[in-house]
Amino acid sequence: MSGSEAGLLRPGQGFATTSGRQGRVGALLGAGGQGEVYSVGLDGQTFALKWYHPHYAELDTTLRSRLDRAVRRGAPTEDFLWPLDLVDIPGSRSFGYVMLLRTDDYVSIRDLIAPPPKRLELSLARRATICQQLARSFLQLHANGFCYQDVNFGNIFLDPKRGRVLICDNDNVNIDGAEASIYGTRKFMAPEVVRRETLPNSRTDLFSMSVLFFYTLFGWHPLDGRREAETKLMNAAAEMRLYGEQPLFLFDPHDDANGPVPGLHDALVARWNSLPTRLRTLFERAFGQGLSDPAARVLETEWRGALRIVEEASFACPECGFEHVAEPNPAGPPGVHERCLACTEPLATPAFLQVRDRLLAMTVGATMDGEVLERTLSGVAAGRVEAHPQHPDRIGLRNLTGDAWRAILADGASYTVPPGQVVRVLPGATIDFGRNQGRISQRLAAGEGT
Amino acid sequence: MTKLTFDPAGVARRQLQVILALDCSGSMRGDRIASLNYALRTALPELRHVAADNPEIDVRVRVLRFGSTATWHIADPVPVEDLKWTDVVAEGETHMGDALRLIGGVLTSEAMPGRQLPPVIVLASDGYPTDDIDGGLKAFFEAEHAASAIRLGIAIGSDVDEEILVRFIDHPSMKPLKATNAADLVHHIKWATTAPVKAVSSPTNAPDPLVPLAREADLAPTANSEIIW
Repeated sequence: MSGSEAGLLRPGQGFATTSGRQGRVGALLGAGGQGEVYSVGLDGQTFALKWYHPHYAELDTTLRSRLDRAVRRGAPTEDFLWPLDLVDIPGSRSFGYVMLLRTDDYVSIRDLIAPPPKRLELSLARRATICQQLARSFLQLHANGFCYQDVNFGNIFLDPKRGRVLICDNDNVNIDGAEASIYGTRKFMAPEVVRRETLPNSRTDLFSMSVLFFYTLFGWHPLDGRREAETKLMNAAAEMRLYGEQPLFLFDPHDDANGPVPGLHDALVARWNSLPTRLRTLFERAFGQGLSDPAARVLETEWRGALRIVEEASFACPECGFEHVAEPNPAGPPGVHERCLACTEPLATPAFLQVRDRLLAMTVGATMDGEVLERTLSGVAAGRVEAHPQHPDRIGLRNLTGDAWRAILADGASYTVPPGQVVRVLPGATIDFGRNQGRISQRLAAGEGT
Repeated sequence: MTKLTFDPAGVARRQLQVILALDCSGSMRGDRIASLNYALRTALPELRHVAADNPEIDVRVRVLRFGSTATWHIADPVPVEDLKWTDVVAEGETHMGDALRLIGGVLTSEAMPGRQLPPVIVLASDGYPTDDIDGGLKAFFEAEHAASAIRLGIAIGSDVDEEILVRFIDHPSMKPLKATNAADLVHHIKWATTAPVKAVSSPTNAPDPLVPLAREADLAPTANSEIIW
């Protein structure tokens, strides 16, 4: 990855893209098994050029037509670092493509599992948001008739400040059903691909995506349980057994042969127990039936509602910081653990706002999506949780909509909440948002009475 | 106030041991051993970088030198981020058989405790073994993890017993890497230590991890040569 080495192309070398744009090769940015990536100048702007090793271009016979199609079709969403233009250089036995340059703001989401201090520390809600963005992007890719083929940690980058996700290495993307060019990456391949019974397709993408989601939330692989722990040397035969022939979910509800090992997987067990039933059920299907039946795999759209609970209803134990997710309950108070799953102290919770089937933890900084109120499109904030400027222990919800709300407190007193104003979050109160109502509740900490 | 019931940093990582066996016989004296030391100095930052890109694995390094005897230069598997290179010195004969026996001795569950990935063994030599190489190879391959190990060989110079390296590698598509000049040596040492670590999380086309590695190894000189331009 050093930029000083001699590469396949010379800095300063000129080239033309297929669409006729003139460019010039800059510094070598990186190199891998397939080729090299250079910074290039094109029409006064800086882009990245991926240039293939001649042998790779020769070996992968459908590479050129895939890239050509990708360029013509355009990126499914702006989260893809997509091929923009092809590049040929006269006299060269290879070719390449131009894409946007990934800036230094982006880090690999592999850093979520890096040892400290490099580890990327993100809240559970932020992790769920990353999964949501990936699900949206992969849905667009699949809906366009493509499959990605090599969904894995190494291809996903994140701008932690802006929360933006970038899906890279799109040169394997192909028409779903066409002969794939690659099997995939170790531990992310679907069992039938590990067994070499099939090449990657959109169903195997769904499996790899579930692994990616599990990794993102847990920092761990879903099939690594007792059996992995007992495998002293992970050779090819052991890998085939664990991920191909006898895969078994760490949290399989019916078979604990590969279950968590006490003392080793305790943090994972606590994380699992902290998640809402709806999300756990999806993981149980993805890594239960979904291991052997591609049709049973969880679709992008199915993850959406389950991940949203994590985004909206997670909160940290004030004693130790371990995050929990409350269970939505339209008919009554939200489900929360009595004691912290990590430090075992009685678990104090924030107040919650239940609107229809949506449950929102009222923690300072949280926003209420407009979609919750069925008024605006998703992505537009309708409310924001804030602390009172003079009394920081008083928590309120600011009305970011254009219409007044009405708050009815437990004692029946009623207040108007004009746009831009904040209403204090008080357990037992109801907020009338116009089209629907929200109910505020809070489980009292143990010892504080009923 | 806090009494966590587990380590929030998660579960220990699986270890990957990279074992380097370096020929330090008399014929390596002078510029060759200097080149070899230089190659290792430049490979280490690269290896650290690659290891950091693979946070799921804990890369450890051991180094063995062989001349008139075979001894550990770095005996305990050192985390790659803590490793500092001290130069090896050339002297005496080429006791490669002893070296293989010594490596075989650490390819056991006892010497490689906990959860391990197949070890990577890089054998670099510039000559012909002067001791009982057959016995050494036999002892090596009898070791518990020898067959699973990724075995790479580097031939330094043109007067090397390549047949021995081929027997050590023992894989149909992986050939010894030939270093006929200092630049090649730097390149091969760097490649042999980093490529297998990279491969752990790289896309793959083949069930046998050595096949894509062999393909990459084949290309290495071409990618470096002047021929393309």
